[in-house]
Amino acid sequence: MPEIDPTEYEIAALGPKITDIDDPEEIEAMLALERDGEDRVPVKTLLEDRLEKLTAEDEAVDPSEVDLSELTVADVANLVRDVDDADVLRDMLEREKDGQDRKTARSQIESRIESIEGSEDEDGEIEEVEHVPPEEKHPDLDHPTDEKQWVEGTVEGTYRDMWVYCETQQGELIDVSREMLGKARELMDDYNADPAGDRGVADDDSSGHYGGDEEGNPEAVVAVLIGDSVGDLTEEVLAYGADRVVYHEDDRLDRFRHKPYTEIFCGMCRDGDYDWRDYHEPRYTLFPATNNGRDLSALVQGELDSGLASDCSGLYIESAMISNPAKTGQAGDKREFERILHMKRPDFSGFEYSTILCIDKPNRDFHPQGGSVIPGSFEIPEAEPEPEGEVVEHEMDLEESWFHVDVTDYDQLDEGVDLTGHDVIVAMGRGIGDSPTEGIELGLDLVDAFEDADLGLSRGVITSSYSFDSHVEQYIGEDRQIGESGQVVEPDIYIAAGISGAIQHKVGMDESDTIISINTNTDADIRDFSDYFIQGDLFEVLPRLTEAVESGELPTALQEVSDD
Amino acid sequence: MTEHEQYEAVVVGCGPGGAAAAATLARSGIETLVLERGAEPGSKNVSGGLIYAEESAPYTIDDLFPDFREQATERPATKNYIHNISGEQVATFDISQLHHHDTEWADAVLRREMDSWVGERVHEMTRETGGGLLTDVRVTGLLRDQGEIVGVEMAELDPIEADIVVAADGVNSELARDAGLMDWEEPEEWFQGVKAVVDMPPEVINERFDIDDDEGVAHLFSGDLFEGVRGGGFLYTNEASLSIGTVFHLDSIAAERAEPHELLDSLLTHPLMTQWLGDEYEEREYSAKLVPDSKKVAHESPHRDRLVLVGDAAGQMQAQGPIIKGMNHAVTAGALAAEAYTTAKSRGTPHDAGRRYEQKLNEEGVMDKLRPTSYDIVGKLGETDSIASLTDTIAESALGRFGVRTLGEGVLERLFSSPRLMAMMPDTRTPYVTIPKIIAEELGEPVTDENTVEPPELDDRIGDLTYDVGDPHIELIDNSFKASGTAVTACPVSAKDFGGGCYRDEHVQTNGSEDHVVSLDTQPCVECGTCAVVADTHWEHPDGGKGVEYKDG
Ligand SMILES: Cc1cc2nc3c(=O)[nH]c(=O)nc-3n(C[C@H](O)[C@H](O)[C@H](O)COP(=O)(O)OP(=O)(O)OC[C@H]3O[C@@H](n4cnc5c(N)ncnc54)[C@H](O)[C@@H]3O)c2cc1C
Ligand SMILES: Cc1cc2nc3c(=O)[nH]c(=O)nc-3n(C[C@H](O)[C@H](O)[C@H](O)COP(=O)(O)OP(=O)(O)OC[C@H]3O[C@@H](n4cnc5c(N)ncnc54)[C@H](O)[C@@H]3O)c2cc1C
Ligand code: SF4
Repeated sequence: MPEIDPTEYEIAALGPKITDIDDPEEIEAMLALERDGEDRVPVKTLLEDRLEKLTAEDEAVDPSEVDLSELTVADVANLVRDVDDADVLRDMLEREKDGQDRKTARSQIESRIESIEGSEDEDGEIEEVEHVPPEEKHPDLDHPTDEKQWVEGTVEGTYRDMWVYCETQQGELIDVSREMLGKARELMDDYNADPAGDRGVADDDSSGHYGGDEEGNPEAVVAVLIGDSVGDLTEEVLAYGADRVVYHEDDRLDRFRHKPYTEIFCGMCRDGDYDWRDYHEPRYTLFPATNNGRDLSALVQGELDSGLASDCSGLYIESAMISNPAKTGQAGDKREFERILHMKRPDFSGFEYSTILCIDKPNRDFHPQGGSVIPGSFEIPEAEPEPEGEVVEHEMDLEESWFHVDVTDYDQLDEGVDLTGHDVIVAMGRGIGDSPTEGIELGLDLVDAFEDADLGLSRGVITSSYSFDSHVEQYIGEDRQIGESGQVVEPDIYIAAGISGAIQHKVGMDESDTIISINTNTDADIRDFSDYFIQGDLFEVLPRLTEAVESGELPTALQEVSDD
Repeated sequence: MTEHEQYEAVVVGCGPGGAAAAATLARSGIETLVLERGAEPGSKNVSGGLIYAEESAPYTIDDLFPDFREQATERPATKNYIHNISGEQVATFDISQLHHHDTEWADAVLRREMDSWVGERVHEMTRETGGGLLTDVRVTGLLRDQGEIVGVEMAELDPIEADIVVAADGVNSELARDAGLMDWEEPEEWFQGVKAVVDMPPEVINERFDIDDDEGVAHLFSGDLFEGVRGGGFLYTNEASLSIGTVFHLDSIAAERAEPHELLDSLLTHPLMTQWLGDEYEEREYSAKLVPDSKKVAHESPHRDRLVLVGDAAGQMQAQGPIIKGMNHAVTAGALAAEAYTTAKSRGTPHDAGRRYEQKLNEEGVMDKLRPTSYDIVGKLGETDSIASLTDTIAESALGRFGVRTLGEGVLERLFSSPRLMAMMPDTRTPYVTIPKIIAEELGEPVTDENTVEPPELDDRIGDLTYDVGDPHIELIDNSFKASGTAVTACPVSAKDFGGGCYRDEHVQTNGSEDHVVSLDTQPCVECGTCAVVADTHWEHPDGGKGVEYKDG
């Protein structure tokens, strides 16, 4: 009979008690009691887990003694993983050879020895990883590098600067372009800073500080603008952190098209003949992880014969210790790579992160180290009021054939409306049903009467089949929905016209300072959480409110009409 | 088509039908994958819920899942009554005899608890075979190879091939419809069930119903409580709650433009309920679902290629007069389908399981219960309009009333307790409304207790439910009021003059003319299936884990 009868406990109380029990038999007895008694699955699982743990501890085997013939190959693999002493392993290998002599078991042990010691050949010399050019490695392929003139060509090339592709929409920079410029500035400022040691400060935190390039010259943030009239934006790009902006303008570039955009980008950073561009390719490249940015990033990085870390949300530059023989060129060797851009990206819907490093191989460079950046990952920096920097207009002939894909039609997707941060929100509900267009017009009039206001909607309006005239139709969409499945706002004044106040709407607005509601029905729920309740037809009340606001008499007017 | 993932058996849905099929397959060592769209089995399901174990059934749920009654049910139904209501007049009969007929036991259940417990067992059993239970996965349709059904397609995973596909996906089975075996056309083939779970401490239940902890009561209600809409009500005692609900013929709800939540409210607020509900009414959950009428829709050959339909998906839901039996038949059918596959496989013809399943349904007497021959002969006849109104008139006439009086209580109680009579009943007003009403008028006693229950408003009922809102899953094909307006009233979470429901009727001015239309927002939808029948829609379930989540069910 165990000391604790599990059937007398709630699972929550049982958990802590069980961890003190170290006798597997005791647990088994408890399990039996539970099975015969309450038979609760979670309790049984709890007990079984504990049992497993205890027996596992008991069974912990000593690799130097264990009888290998009793272990499966999988067991051997698990076992050797924890052994760090090569002699113990060699001893195991001998025993395996004397015993069952399984090839698979031997190779498990051997590869563990190898990863501890590094593989040495007979003479004790470190074995070089043999390089086979792709043509020889894949004789079955026509010519694996046929069109890639730069593959294999670039070994030990020179690379400098961080190039940032600044995407535009409708002639304006999009936010992620500003975010990337800010981040690039920050990274390169650190990069150009002297390592702590050099400054005579004892500081380990000198990672990312290289004092500029290999010769000690600072490297730059180079912004790229491509489009039809992007010349207007060069100043702004410098203001957000670029040292230099290279732009290419052409009417035919009014919309993103990947062929000419790719050619231009590569033309600038690989072929551009500028005295400051004394290098082979950029050291780093950044692109926005937007639809167009993803498209361009893949093509450019491919064309430049490098890799790409897509959809990144974190970036830092640091040295990295690498032991992968494909990268170090020597098995079992560790090597420190400097100036490595670490690109963090979310996996599995953001449950996990991986950090991608793009590192040269002995016989092939992987530069630029490039990634695309998820919009919103970084802060938009303060714009420099009087930026200094160089503006470079890129000249290049654009081949007609690059444009043979024509954009015949396009739609502008809503970027969405941000209703937070306004002083006033005027929200309209299904009370507008008798004359929907007029209702929205009246709401917009009231919005205009305030200095900083915007229009919100109940979901009831958005999902209605009301037909709106085209001039107000643009306001009817989920991007203006307030509530549980829409936006949550807390303005100083929230005016709800013809909204009943369903709980799902309420949670989006009830933190507002002052809530004014207009409703024909005095029983409407919204009354319960309004500061001012105006019983009346919104078609009559709204114009009067607008008038009162315009004449600066809102407070008095409210006192007069409000029921509450 | 060989690159798809393969399982020997795929079971779609982990309600009683799917669970029974999966458990039986797993027992035979067949590699079985169970796909369930809910975040947990039961989170999507509703029943009244008395689950029966019939003496004559080849499989009952506790055969397949030992300890089922101890672990997954609420209280057994130890007392059974039917109340015939006319205004405040109520005539009550003890129908324990009808209830006990062929009944080994019958327990009240709440589906979230029941299905999730069963689901755990199913997962353990199927995992042993190399499969398991996957939740949050919605099957969107059948995988076909050269026109032949060979597997399933899902919203969340790549297609899977199987030697047998068991569609246990309930009354709104998308698979049965994809296969062309079932449709959503005729309102008269369906009932709509609506239920409230009412919080009540066990001691209060014991006292108000005069029972012990291990006892329970089933009350059924019929008569004019529902203003001429055909159907009835139920009240079952759970451990610490009551399940109170209504089940109505959908065609009647549609024709009368009845509001399902109001029908439920009229039961909740009837003076008769006062003795049980007291003054403090605390509604835990409001729910609804379509219920098939097996007499009309139980498919006589529920299979095609490698697909078999079990339970509600095949229309196997028997309304035996006031008694509702769906879960038990789903269990039996699920197990028989599994048995059929095992036999077919051992004969080397695994793809021949459907035919064997059909044969078993007949041999084991399941089909006879679902589609009683006596109903086919007598009942259907009684439904043609002229005969229906004739019987109604006779029943209403002095002659009919005289009959009720002379027959008296004893005979009537016996008649109500006759399973054969109940199976024969035509689905007209006569048995549902007129007769109970007359019985109440002639034999009943007035109940005058003051009922102070205030059921929650519809918006509060919706507000109390939990939703994980996904993309709209129902598409309104014709939004004219003429085509789809019935849904405004028939949808259990919509109502006339209520802007917060799924369906709202609206008058829209277009180019000078006014159109009467409906608009649809699927966010408050409880996925009952009603509007698939009464409105012109393209109806699908929400994707895995999305939509409404029942805590009680
Ligand atoms: C109000 C009401 C009262 C009732 N009262 C009773 C009663 O007292 N006694 C009784 O026996 N019966 C009663 N019923 C009927 C009973 O609930 C059903 O007959 C029974 O649940 C049918 O079981 P099933 O396994 O066939 O389907 P369900 O229990 O509906 O299970 C279907 C399962 O499939 C899942 N699913 C559906 N589509 C998909 C998909 N595409 N992909 C993945 N998974 C999917 C669902 O989430 C669900 O878990 C009542 C019904 C209602 C609505
Ligand atoms: C899961 C879920 C999520 C949801 N998320 C949201 C959400 O994020 N945001 C949201 O808003 N809703 C949401 N809803 C919907 C919500 O429940 C309500 O249905 C919706 O807010 C109702 O909109 P309404 O108030 O405009 O319409 P109604 O409820 O129809 O109210 C209209 C009001 O207008 C009044 N009225 C009529 N005529 C006039 C007139 N001439 N002048 C003045 N008053 C008049 C009426 O008395 C009534 O009170 C959600 C619902 C669910 C189920
Ligand atoms: S919208 Fe349709 S499926 Fe959803 S609750 Fe209403 S009637 Fe039922």
